[in-house]
Amino acid sequence: MRIIRASGPAIDAGLLEEAWNNPESFVFVPAHMSMDDAPLFRHRGYLPKELSKDHFALLTSGSTGKPKVVIGCRARSEDLTRVLHEIQDSAPVAETICALPLTYSYAFVNQWLWAKVQGRRFRPSPGLSSPAQFRQDLIAADNAMLCLVGSQVSLMESQLADCSFPGVIRLHFAGGRFPQHKLESLNRMFPEAVIFNNFGCAEALPRLTVRKAGASNDAQNVGSPLPGVELKSVEGALFFRSPFGAVATVGADGFHLFDASEWIPTGDIGHPAADGESWQLAGRTNEVFNRYGEKISLFTIGGTVEDFWPGQSAVFKTVDTHGEEAGAIALAPKPSKQQMRALLSEFRKKHNRAQWPLYIVGMDKLPELANGKPDLVSIASIGDEHVLWRQHI
Amino acid sequence: MENREKLKELMLDILLIDEDEFSFELKREDVETWDSLGVVSVAVGIQDTFGYHPSTDEATALDSVDKIIELLESNGIQFEQ
Repeated sequence: MRIIRASGPAIDAGLLEEAWNNPESFVFVPAHMSMDDAPLFRHRGYLPKELSKDHFALLTSGSTGKPKVVIGCRARSEDLTRVLHEIQDSAPVAETICALPLTYSYAFVNQWLWAKVQGRRFRPSPGLSSPAQFRQDLIAADNAMLCLVGSQVSLMESQLADCSFPGVIRLHFAGGRFPQHKLESLNRMFPEAVIFNNFGCAEALPRLTVRKAGASNDAQNVGSPLPGVELKSVEGALFFRSPFGAVATVGADGFHLFDASEWIPTGDIGHPAADGESWQLAGRTNEVFNRYGEKISLFTIGGTVEDFWPGQSAVFKTVDTHGEEAGAIALAPKPSKQQMRALLSEFRKKHNRAQWPLYIVGMDKLPELANGKPDLVSIASIGDEHVLWRQHI
Repeated sequence: MENREKLKELMLDILLIDEDEFSFELKREDVETWDSLGVVSVAVGIQDTFGYHPSTDEATALDSVDKIIELLESNGIQFEQ
């Protein structure tokens, strides 16, 4: 399997075009990722021969910092872009502005591959790493699609305040909690855009459900499965089968080829919504735990924070001095004492003490992964000097 | 910071109450967040803030701000009037 290492969005798009047109399978890896501990390269000799052609693989560090590889079939992914094109009414879209790393399956499939299959312009942008250039790219947007992750919205509000970008007509979110509470602000910034919540996971490569922003008032509602996609909930854990999903994965535990009948875990807690058609998420499976006998969901804690705090925020798992797991919160920019007390007052109103954060840290800007999501591994190791409040426990 | 002010800040932080809800006459029954975990938090908070470690019996008997001051004063920590 040929290795293509990302070097920059514009160069990457050209490399991918050439690689996609060549039958040999390839793996597309981030620019600075170490190959030493990448599981694909330890297991490469054992990959089935049928994967040596017409497939591709993406390697991401993920929020856990552990490298993970998903292997997809090119024809299946092309089919997914056609389904998304119909469901998201993308016929009027002339171009896609890519402000996320292309090694991220969301940008790779929803943007680069969609543009290739549909014959649309693919326009790379440095995104929020260069706000002035990003602003110019958005001003120049011509019937454009833009894909973001929810945690970027507060930065956009601070960096692109008072801007309006009518050239963006489709705005997609994925990769975390949907910014339902920011819709007013998004509608102001993107007055012509139809906004979508996209849900999926790396193994789905990457989409399972979509919904229009206005179809629900609940950030946890992810809409209905795409045609051909099946979801089921087993004791709360969400599983899927998809004709578009990955055909294999390579993780720390080795190579795994998916059977067509196999139900694959998304890593989320979810259940069907009351309308019988859409689905509700309750968080990631590793984000739900017991604390002093109470069930804690970081997703729920995150919702309380996001409803209140206009800046960046992240919620992560930590452990107290008794060995009990707990949630903790990081905020940026650093809140004033009154702001922090007001946030804590919200926790008092909405949650019992077990749900309260163990501590709150504040800093100028939260560390981020290349895909714009908060870097939870770095955030969890932030020093005591940034702690603004903590429970005495 | 004077000890009365330190104690007030500590109780605001532990019980998540607003300043106008706090008084030095505050009792456990007045605020729903002074629950069983709140009792533990008060005891740990006293140790963290004033360096005095209440015994289990002392901690469970602390059901008002008055009693916290009484306990700390009886252990040599003075509270200005």
